[in-house]
Amino acid sequence: MPEQRRRRSPLGVLSAALAYAGGEALAAFRRNGLMSAAAVTTIMVTLLPVGGAVALAANLRLMTTILERQVQVVAYLRDGISPQERDRLSAQVRALPGVRRVEFVGRDQALVRLQDALGERVSLRDVIETNPLPDSLEVALVNPREARPVADAVRQIGGVEDVAFGAQAVDRLLAVTGLLRTGGVAAGLLLGGVALIIIMNTIRLTIIGRRQEIEIMQLVGASPWYVRSPFMLEGVLQGLVATALAALVLIPGYILLLARARDVVPFLPLVHAPDLLPTLVVSLGLGGMLVGMSGSLLALRRFLHT
Amino acid sequence: MIRLQGVTKRYPNGLLALNDVSFSMAEGEFVFLIGPTGAGKSTLLRLLYRADVASRGKVSVAGRDITRLPARQMPALRRSMGVVFQDFKLLPRKTAYENVAFAMQVTGTPPEEIRPRAMQALEVVGLADRADALPWQLSGGEQQRISIARAIVHQPPLLLADEPTGNLDPRTSWEIVQLLSRINLRGTTVLVATHNKLIVDILRQRVVELAAGTVVRDEDYGLYASHA
Repeated sequence: MPEQRRRRSPLGVLSAALAYAGGEALAAFRRNGLMSAAAVTTIMVTLLPVGGAVALAANLRLMTTILERQVQVVAYLRDGISPQERDRLSAQVRALPGVRRVEFVGRDQALVRLQDALGERVSLRDVIETNPLPDSLEVALVNPREARPVADAVRQIGGVEDVAFGAQAVDRLLAVTGLLRTGGVAAGLLLGGVALIIIMNTIRLTIIGRRQEIEIMQLVGASPWYVRSPFMLEGVLQGLVATALAALVLIPGYILLLARARDVVPFLPLVHAPDLLPTLVVSLGLGGMLVGMSGSLLALRRFLHT
Repeated sequence: MIRLQGVTKRYPNGLLALNDVSFSMAEGEFVFLIGPTGAGKSTLLRLLYRADVASRGKVSVAGRDITRLPARQMPALRRSMGVVFQDFKLLPRKTAYENVAFAMQVTGTPPEEIRPRAMQALEVVGLADRADALPWQLSGGEQQRISIARAIVHQPPLLLADEPTGNLDPRTSWEIVQLLSRINLRGTTVLVATHNKLIVDILRQRVVELAAGTVVRDEDYGLYASHA
């Protein structure tokens, strides 16, 4: 029997290949129901803590950013300074590197603020007759870490009597926020790594369960990509389904927790659900797909040595 | 079609499976490769379909040296031959037809060609009417015929069979060998590794006998046991 050589268009071959891979992946999903369910469940269960960690990290980041933004340098001005001089000073400070914003706070305004801070139990007017507070410039910073150099620079400017930036408090705050950040990233990486290993191992099991199929594919001369593609698609499919299921838990879970947290600690800055959840679910989905696919590829490597 | 020149195969565990084997097969020939278990028959076939690589010597198929075949060209080599095994290697959850069609699907055959060619292969092995049966619904002989249909669906010039009757009773074995013989008559080169004395003696084809990894006999119209 002479081998017949047929001419085919590359597009035809590709579409046939895609149709084959898609059909096989779906069929495998149906046929190996139990294995697929196990893989999907495992991926979902591992995605949950990862999603939780990401949500926690996002909130920690928001909190630290807000806390750090409150770090500011206050320049107390000499008494009896003229409005022109005050504007000149303000401009000078604004021109310094590392300064985000400068706000003038007049002494009267400062007194009102102090009264607000003290609340209604104490009336300043009963205690003091004249306003002891100086005019001041409140300097917001680009980076809270630059509080000290900015304060030093402001102190050099004529007309500035004193500078305060809560040196010790800032140092402590920065230490804490730094720890929270690295801790969040480390926890995320750790959880992500564990999830990766578990997911890849699960996919490996489903592939080992079908090594007979792979063996026959190779025997009849399937090209390596023809062998891989259904398994890769299957991995992607598993990742997607698992993410969808994880989202079903994560989304209401976060919304519920958020409502709870707002009741208990209303002053805590928290990331609003619409700001976080879409990004979270999409990135988990992409991650799940990627892990599913690369898990399949890695697992296949053992069988594709040929 | 097949040429082995001074082929030696030593497995990593030190076992010497083939020792300086040379033999060749012309196009259209039918050869029985015989010898006791462990003589090296399976290893020789594995070298031909490149599941293993010779430690020394040269293996060529259809004029092409496959001793150092790049991985990229493996699929082409496999498509140029059909391989049949003692244990059939059918996918248990696919029907007879699907098992045959599978070989074409995974090699990128245009979908409209798959059905007619698979059905034709099933007709050659006489099982077109059992196309929708699952492997467990078929007898051993029928399963082996399905695996032969799968092996010939690419219309390969070469068919390798490793103990194709090892799991079958004498009558069914005879049917399978007759089928292989018919496929040979249509022009396909057929190499059958077996230790089934009966079929070798009835068919009287060329016999190559291996013992402990070396060729000890190569005889046209041979019997399982030598005359001497």
